[in-house]
Amino acid sequence: MELAIDAAGRPIQMPILSLQDVSKDYLTDGQPVHALSGLSLNVERGEFVALVGRSGCGKSTLLNLAGAMDFSTSGRVLLDGVSTSSLKDSGLTQLRRQRVGFIFQSFQLLHTLTVFENVELPLLLAGKHNPREVARERLGWVELEGLGDRYPHQLSGGQMQRVAIARALIHSPSILLADEPTGNLDTTTGNVILELLRRLTREQNTATIVATHSIEAASLANTLVRLRDGKIEEITRR
Amino acid sequence: MPLFLLFHRLMVRPLSREPVRTSLTILAIALGVAVVLAIDLAGGAATGSFRSSMETLAGDNDLEVRASGGVPESVVGTLATLPYSIRVSPRIEDYAVITDTKKSLPLIGLDLVAEGSTYAQSESQNAGGPRTQRASENVFEHLGDADSIWVGSIAGYKTGDRVELLINDQVRKYTVRGVYPDSNGNESAIVMDLAAAQQALARYGRVDRILLKVPEAPSLEDWQQRLRTALPAGVEVRPQGTGTNENRRMLAAFRWNLRLLSYISLVVGAFLIYNTISVSVVRRRQDIGIVRALGASRRVILSAFIGEAACFGLAGALLGLPLGRFMATGAVRLMSATVESLYVSSRPGTIELNAASVLLALVIGVGVAVASAYAPAREASQVSPFEAMARGRREYDVRMHKARDLWLALVLGLAAAGASRAPAVAGKPLLGYLAAILLIAASALAMPAFVDALTSFASKLLGKLFGVEAMLAARSLAASLRRTSVLVGALSTAIAMMTAVGIMVGSFRQSVVLWMSNQLPADLYLRPAGSPAADRHPTISLGLAEDIAKIPGVVAVERLRAYEISYQGMPATLASADLDVLDVIRWYPHSEFLSGRPQQEVLPELRHSNTVVVSEPFTYKHHLKAGDFIGLSLGETQASFRIADVYYDYSSERGSILMDRKTMLRYLPDPAPSNLAIYVSPDAPLETVRAEIEKATAGHRVLMFSNRDLRTEAIRIFDRTFAITYALEAVAVIVAVMGIAGALLALAIDRRRELGLLRFLGAATGQVRKLILVEAGLLGLLANFAGLALGFALSLILIYVINKQSFGWTIRFHWPVEILLGALTVVYAATVLAGLYPAQVAVRLNPLEVVHEE
Repeated sequence: MELAIDAAGRPIQMPILSLQDVSKDYLTDGQPVHALSGLSLNVERGEFVALVGRSGCGKSTLLNLAGAMDFSTSGRVLLDGVSTSSLKDSGLTQLRRQRVGFIFQSFQLLHTLTVFENVELPLLLAGKHNPREVARERLGWVELEGLGDRYPHQLSGGQMQRVAIARALIHSPSILLADEPTGNLDTTTGNVILELLRRLTREQNTATIVATHSIEAASLANTLVRLRDGKIEEITRR
Repeated sequence: MPLFLLFHRLMVRPLSREPVRTSLTILAIALGVAVVLAIDLAGGAATGSFRSSMETLAGDNDLEVRASGGVPESVVGTLATLPYSIRVSPRIEDYAVITDTKKSLPLIGLDLVAEGSTYAQSESQNAGGPRTQRASENVFEHLGDADSIWVGSIAGYKTGDRVELLINDQVRKYTVRGVYPDSNGNESAIVMDLAAAQQALARYGRVDRILLKVPEAPSLEDWQQRLRTALPAGVEVRPQGTGTNENRRMLAAFRWNLRLLSYISLVVGAFLIYNTISVSVVRRRQDIGIVRALGASRRVILSAFIGEAACFGLAGALLGLPLGRFMATGAVRLMSATVESLYVSSRPGTIELNAASVLLALVIGVGVAVASAYAPAREASQVSPFEAMARGRREYDVRMHKARDLWLALVLGLAAAGASRAPAVAGKPLLGYLAAILLIAASALAMPAFVDALTSFASKLLGKLFGVEAMLAARSLAASLRRTSVLVGALSTAIAMMTAVGIMVGSFRQSVVLWMSNQLPADLYLRPAGSPAADRHPTISLGLAEDIAKIPGVVAVERLRAYEISYQGMPATLASADLDVLDVIRWYPHSEFLSGRPQQEVLPELRHSNTVVVSEPFTYKHHLKAGDFIGLSLGETQASFRIADVYYDYSSERGSILMDRKTMLRYLPDPAPSNLAIYVSPDAPLETVRAEIEKATAGHRVLMFSNRDLRTEAIRIFDRTFAITYALEAVAVIVAVMGIAGALLALAIDRRRELGLLRFLGAATGQVRKLILVEAGLLGLLANFAGLALGFALSLILIYVINKQSFGWTIRFHWPVEILLGALTVVYAATVLAGLYPAQVAVRLNPLEVVHEE
């Protein structure tokens, strides 16, 4: 992790996520798409960031870059001090296993696995043994202790999203990336989820970035980043 | 037209987006069609030649006169002097080998004075010129020459050429006196005068057949009756071509069994089409809902998916046609070799790919595809618009009625057991076939319960042993139960067939090996050179046996003689053995008789009496047993013989009767032997005696085999007869493995979101690859278990029902462990390898694209 030093020689903690003049272009059916253009953003530990903007403004692209799922066309992406562009695919995989948790709009639970097994999955993929106790603890964080042996189809939407949050936190990531986490939930349940995310962000000192159309999410965030056509239009910090 | 346009856009065009999977499905159907077509074409060619050679050259005669051991020449005179206007054509019929080319051709001796004009033509006449006086004179000029022959044009000789022919054990030079037109090679034969043929074959005083052309009135049956009364008792009068029909009937079982084996590939293909259409229905549930909401009726939906299947079937059939024709060439070679070894001399006819064959291929390809697709297509038509369009839906899996299907499987299994105990129907093991089909159906129905139980049980264990990828793979297979069951069903059916045939052939082989250990007591065996066949028994020159008997170290020479006869309308072999050698031969400890009695007790009963032993296939075909009496027409006599016992005989399916040589000579006085069995003193060095025998046989074209050589040769012929069976099994397995590859590809694509998610959760590309490969391995393992169990059950039906009722052989069950293990390992490896390409596709999926599909 890169450490800066202040004038007094004391180490300055770097942001958990730093996007420096990042652009992302790709081709769709032969047509160039400029998803992000010269975007710069720093996110600190414990910061709850809401990414807002119309569909197609680059929210998901930003999340993918932040989550080491993709490479930028230009600029730098530093995740917990590690530059993602210097890594190969195996390196990115390692980085994700250690630092990143994902939460999706449609929950993305595996229906063939129980709740416990869904939550444990990232640790098992990382080759860790006996993750059951950790999974139990994480389910406790999201107040689903008694449902470990159920299957996703036996849960409500809100419960499924909580399981997804527990899974995203199983490996104590530095950053949580949530793409429309309340998009498939009713307002009440959605608010509960957002409140849960904010609490966990604070308690676990992770950074959370939520791409959202939800006004409630925007109102709960420490930082509101408004995107437009791949650029940051406005950053509001509270 | 609009519907056709919609069909093309919605059903046909999407197929091009998955070229690999579409191609695999079409190729699987094509292989199934090709195999069925190849066996059908090859069977027709390999067995259709009976109408060629002897029968084609028999001309337009109505009746034939035959007798076991040959018809006495005096019968020709009797017929000629009857007060009827009958054309009498005596014939000698055998085979000769052209020593240059080693080609075996029919040898026909005719009364060339009466019939020679058809054959005695020069090349100029073959080119279409008129028959000249000079050509007719040519016949008479050389008629008296024992070295004159006439050959068909396809043989490639011209008038004046000298040809060396091997007839029995003698090589003689002949001069081609004329070449007759021979349009397609099936009529080609070597023709000589009757007397010359009798001399060459040492068949003095007899002819093989007398062909008769009778007036149209009265009826043929009346003529048969009339002529029988004028001829000796042992001489038979029957319609000409009866022999061909007898042979055809005998071969029917062989052809039937091969045909059914070829259908296995189609059955496997049917599973795969079912799976393909099921997957298509699942993927398009939303599309179906949309189209239904827009006004499509259930019938339109049903027709769309049936149409999709028909497209696969049609494409497969069109590809299968040339493939089948190509495979038929190899199949003919294999089948002809088997027919020649086990049944009758034949020369393959041409492979005719005609309109009927094309129609067969189309009907099979499209029919099987449409029939297989009906159930999933019907399911698609039941989808309501609302259900298919619901947001947030997960993959729909048809509710499996596991318990109900398991009970049904049990019922079918019991029905199969019942059917397997039923006797043959019109000589065919029809209920045996039904039992096999019921077992396969039972297995298919039980498959979901079997797969569910094993995958559910094994997923945790697999996770502990092989990592989370293995657990995910097992859970995924369990979750797509119908898809998994159909795939396992397809592969296990192919494996079951491989296992069943492998056990049957292995058991058969072991039975033959054990049988041969009792059958060959002599040290050396001698037979005339030339291609052996089940119905050809060339003879060894008289005197050779006596010469060999004088060699120091030779204890005894047993003369064996065989004739082809007809018994109750079926071909059989009548053989005699020199029972005088019983005093010197070594007895084997195991009995070769069904009664279990030792040889030294049974064989002496045959000495100097009308007592015989018969082979097991003979008793099965004619419903006989030890103690029964059979009537045989031998020469001019009808005689009755008692069956002393029944012996196991795997050398031929024709059925054999064995008597004492002295008894045979009383009825059929030709003393020339077909084979010699030579017993050497234990004190004499075998190689020295062998060398002396070779000197004694100089000038004769004979082949000598040691005891061990003969066993090896017999096993080699045995293995060769099953070559085509192995080829059919291999095709079925290839079809199944291809289906697995296509299905795994579909699985990888259908689960792209799940696979993409795993990448988000930290799975490396190697772990995704491992997941797909473990799935392939699990499918292979499940199929191996199921296939082994089903194959064992099928093998019992093959050995104890189908084989027994088709051919009459008793086969002792034997596990060919090494061969089975080897074959199963190869299939398993192929299944895992089939997962390589789908694994690569899965790895190449972009998780960003697949997970963010909203």
